[in-house]
Amino acid sequence: MAWASLVIAGLFEMFGVSMINKLHRDRNLQSVVLLIIGFGASFLFLAYAMKSLPMGTAYAIWTGIGASGGAILGMILYGESKDWKRLVFIAMVLGAAIGLKLVS
Amino acid sequence: MNMNWVKVIIAAFFEVFWVIGLKHADNFWTWTGTVIAIIISFYLMIMAGKKLPVGTVYAVFVGLGTAGTVFADIVFFGEPFKLAKVILILVLLAGVIGLKLVTKDNVKEGVES
Repeated sequence: MAWASLVIAGLFEMFGVSMINKLHRDRNLQSVVLLIIGFGASFLFLAYAMKSLPMGTAYAIWTGIGASGGAILGMILYGESKDWKRLVFIAMVLGAAIGLKLVS
Repeated sequence: MNMNWVKVIIAAFFEVFWVIGLKHADNFWTWTGTVIAIIISFYLMIMAGKKLPVGTVYAVFVGLGTAGTVFADIVFFGEPFKLAKVILILVLLAGVIGLKLVTKDNVKEGVES
């Protein structure tokens, strides 16, 4: 269950990141509420997963799913740049962040 | 350096505080401080996404927050210093600088429908 919970936490984080895009496009209260629900649920599932998984591993996987998934959804749903240089730099930042969480 | 990138950097700075808070807070005041840091960091990160691509902003926010936390753990909480950590922080910072260079401000192509 811890692993399933961790994946769900990552999916909620992706959702939360997408809601930031939606908030800036629609500028309404519904987006704010969905954004808070997305990140709130993400933290709850992450906290549950961390009870039985090592903290560094759990954090690394959560970041990996949420931030890269959020960037991918931004490109698909909200027309963010697909420039290869941007993708390489995002991969460098997230790859290094995941590495840091694993070695810490 | 424009205001939106400054917002992301300040947001990441506050992220370091709340990550430390989640780990070490043990009374009303430290928990209050942690919650305030969460609100400030998310608010600034979300506002930076108004003009910059959200995927970029969130990656930089998470990345700089992680680098800052690892740095704070070594300097203030006695975590071991490892060469791998320094190399990863340098790769991360290079990625952030790269993103700053390739990102056009105020242009979110295709967003307005």
